[in-house]
Amino acid sequence: MALTGRTALLAAIGSLPVGILAPSWTGMLAINAPLSLAILCDYALAAPVRTLQFARSGDTTVRLGDSAQVQLTVTNRSRRRLRAQIRDAWPPSSWPSGAEQGASRHKIDVPAGERRRVTTVLRPTRRGDRPAERITVRSFGPLGLAARQGSHRVPWTVRVLPPFTSRKHLPSRLARLRELDGRTSVLTRGQGTEFDSLREYVPGDDTRSIDWRATARHSSVAVRTWRPERDRHILIVLDTGRTSAGRVGDVPRLDAALDAALLLTALATRAGDRVDLLAYDRRIRARVQGRAAGDVLPAMVNALATLEPELVETDARGLSAAALAGAPRRSLIVLLSGLEAAPIEEGLLPVLPQLTQRHTVLLASVADPHAEQMTKARGSAQAVYEAAAGTQAQAQRRQVSEQLQRHGVTVVDAIPEELAPALADAYLALKAAGRL
Amino acid sequence: MTATATATSLSRDPRQIWRRARGILLALALLVIAGIAMALVRTGDQHGRLDPRSVDPNGSRAVAQLLQDRGVSVRVVTTLDEATTASGPDSTLLVTAPNMLTGHQQAVLRATMERQGSRTVLLAPGPPSTDILAPGVTTDSPASVRALAPQCSLPEARRAGTVDLGGERYRTLAATTSQACYPSDGLPTLLRLKSGADSDVTLLGSADILFNQRLAQQGNASLALQLLGSRNHLVWYLPSLTDPSATEGEDSGEGIESEEDFFGLIPSGWLWATLQLAVAALLAAIWRARRLGPLVTERLPVAIRASEATEGRSRLYHRSNARDRAATVLRSATRTRLAPLVGIPATEAHSPESLLPAVSARLTDGDGTRLRDLLFGPAPADDAALILLADQLDALEREVRTS
Repeated sequence: MALTGRTALLAAIGSLPVGILAPSWTGMLAINAPLSLAILCDYALAAPVRTLQFARSGDTTVRLGDSAQVQLTVTNRSRRRLRAQIRDAWPPSSWPSGAEQGASRHKIDVPAGERRRVTTVLRPTRRGDRPAERITVRSFGPLGLAARQGSHRVPWTVRVLPPFTSRKHLPSRLARLRELDGRTSVLTRGQGTEFDSLREYVPGDDTRSIDWRATARHSSVAVRTWRPERDRHILIVLDTGRTSAGRVGDVPRLDAALDAALLLTALATRAGDRVDLLAYDRRIRARVQGRAAGDVLPAMVNALATLEPELVETDARGLSAAALAGAPRRSLIVLLSGLEAAPIEEGLLPVLPQLTQRHTVLLASVADPHAEQMTKARGSAQAVYEAAAGTQAQAQRRQVSEQLQRHGVTVVDAIPEELAPALADAYLALKAAGRL
Repeated sequence: MTATATATSLSRDPRQIWRRARGILLALALLVIAGIAMALVRTGDQHGRLDPRSVDPNGSRAVAQLLQDRGVSVRVVTTLDEATTASGPDSTLLVTAPNMLTGHQQAVLRATMERQGSRTVLLAPGPPSTDILAPGVTTDSPASVRALAPQCSLPEARRAGTVDLGGERYRTLAATTSQACYPSDGLPTLLRLKSGADSDVTLLGSADILFNQRLAQQGNASLALQLLGSRNHLVWYLPSLTDPSATEGEDSGEGIESEEDFFGLIPSGWLWATLQLAVAALLAAIWRARRLGPLVTERLPVAIRASEATEGRSRLYHRSNARDRAATVLRSATRTRLAPLVGIPATEAHSPESLLPAVSARLTDGDGTRLRDLLFGPAPADDAALILLADQLDALEREVRTS
């Protein structure tokens, strides 16, 4: 049961005849009894809500920042016309703040025995799954004085995928990759390179790559050429512990890391490498393993959509164990984690030798531009202390990354917008150097 | 995907509503029935107390009946107005609970008592009422009710002999003329005073002689009939809470009379229209209060700024005035940045012997002591010195870069 503004207005207008013509209980009764009767009749004549039928269709996935359209079909099987207000409720983060009222409410007029379709447009503001909540229908009577109200639950879920904004960097990186492949041969022999061919020595070539046996067979000096190997393994390990929850410019570090992971996956898949993924804090939160090249990116986007940072300290020992289990062959392990001194020194450094023993390790972390701004603060005591704290933090980060580099780890530390291209460049550099 | 209506609807159908509500309704019905039954079974002692129509142990129907048999008409009144109009020179006024009266009512009653030829009996007046109704009389600590001897010259008491009295005990000031009877531990429990020129008032310490259950004992009936039956009419005043005079004459703010005047000045049409508008406001409240479905909740992520720890550290520095630490940090950062600019390996950036000569060689006015103070000097003494140090370090770095 619900009343409308019209009812209150009629009762208010009724105060005139009561005041002027019949100021007594009789007058009150003469106004309010018909009004109550009209309300009851209206309520009785309103189309029933419980017998309505609903069906949903539309988008099930949407990229963060885009809009999804979910259609709702309302079938009125009663013999009365349905004039109703419908609220298709979704979790608050399905819209930018303030837009919920307009987007979720629909006016609808369904004649008896027919059906109508309304479209709810969602513009989610966060990653993850958005389950549909209840549909509330307020069915007005013919006089518009009273309404029946009831709710239905029609399940539907819209999965909000990571935005993958760094895909704009993909063409330029792919061009670089082709350059790398197009050179077909490099004259430095590293790991992960395979013998390509022999050719004649030209001045400028590295004398160390002269193949003396071939030279003995030929009349001229021959050099060996190598080319980067394909079909390398890459394991991306996402740290979803407490350090990934910190926000840099209102976006959690984890989201920047996801973006970088997706770009690296797209690039490495094109380069013919196999990419696996592991998200870990104290247990495995997401895992993508052994997918075919064409299938790996969608699988990864789906796996990462519902990933949220957990407010626990990452278990570095367990993480390295999981990484080792996930990388049976020699591979490039890309750790997307923080460069905070305490977690690295206490957690990662002791277990790092296990990883670097067999694999190439690359650690990528999201830097905070705000710390950079803090170091430039001047002009008051507070500002100088701020600058000192910012400088201290940066010095610590630098120390930690030097420590890691001494262990043979490649470190990529960049602000969120630059992390994905920087990581892609580091991967290309490793590939060119044949260190995969 | 389609689903049947019953599967999606969250509203309850009438059968479910009845099934849920019947337990509560049953409990409510039981509560009401039990309440009525208990009220019937346990009517309290106070029910019909001193009421001439009541046959309860503490009622007074027996006295009233005896009086009527002797030709005294008993009239029960419950409001002060009726009591004052009904009493006259040919009647006795019995006030059963003078302590229940407000100050204003007591003043009105006092004026009635002082009228020519009136006779009043007050039952158990205590400190709340003796000041106005019996000036010059004070009460002492109450005694328990027991059989007392008259010990006075009042003819009614002499005739009645021993009666059940007690309760309030009275002291009189020397100036008041009174007859004091039935002393309990030396203080009288029955007092007859002159209240006016030809009128008197009797104060009884307790009302027990009028109860049905005690009337037949001792000389109770005799005393009661003599006190109440001396005139042809008896006005039996039972003070009640519904008495309109109880709310009159209060000292606080506007009395009800002025309010009545205020509402009396407004045409009734306005009042009724306002009432109808209140109904409209109630309907509007119901209209606005009904939500279109409940609020939707969701788990929100925790919002932590990544730079929070760094900001916290800067405030800690500030709070503890850690100028030495701040200066050390800034100096060592500057030294680290200067070392590659002047061609010194990073490992020797913090040794003055190698850094200072290299830096001063790049400067136009290479003042050695000033440079040493700037890069390796003591901690600044106050905030101003710290700010100056930061600015000087910046200036030095710029100079080296541009040279």
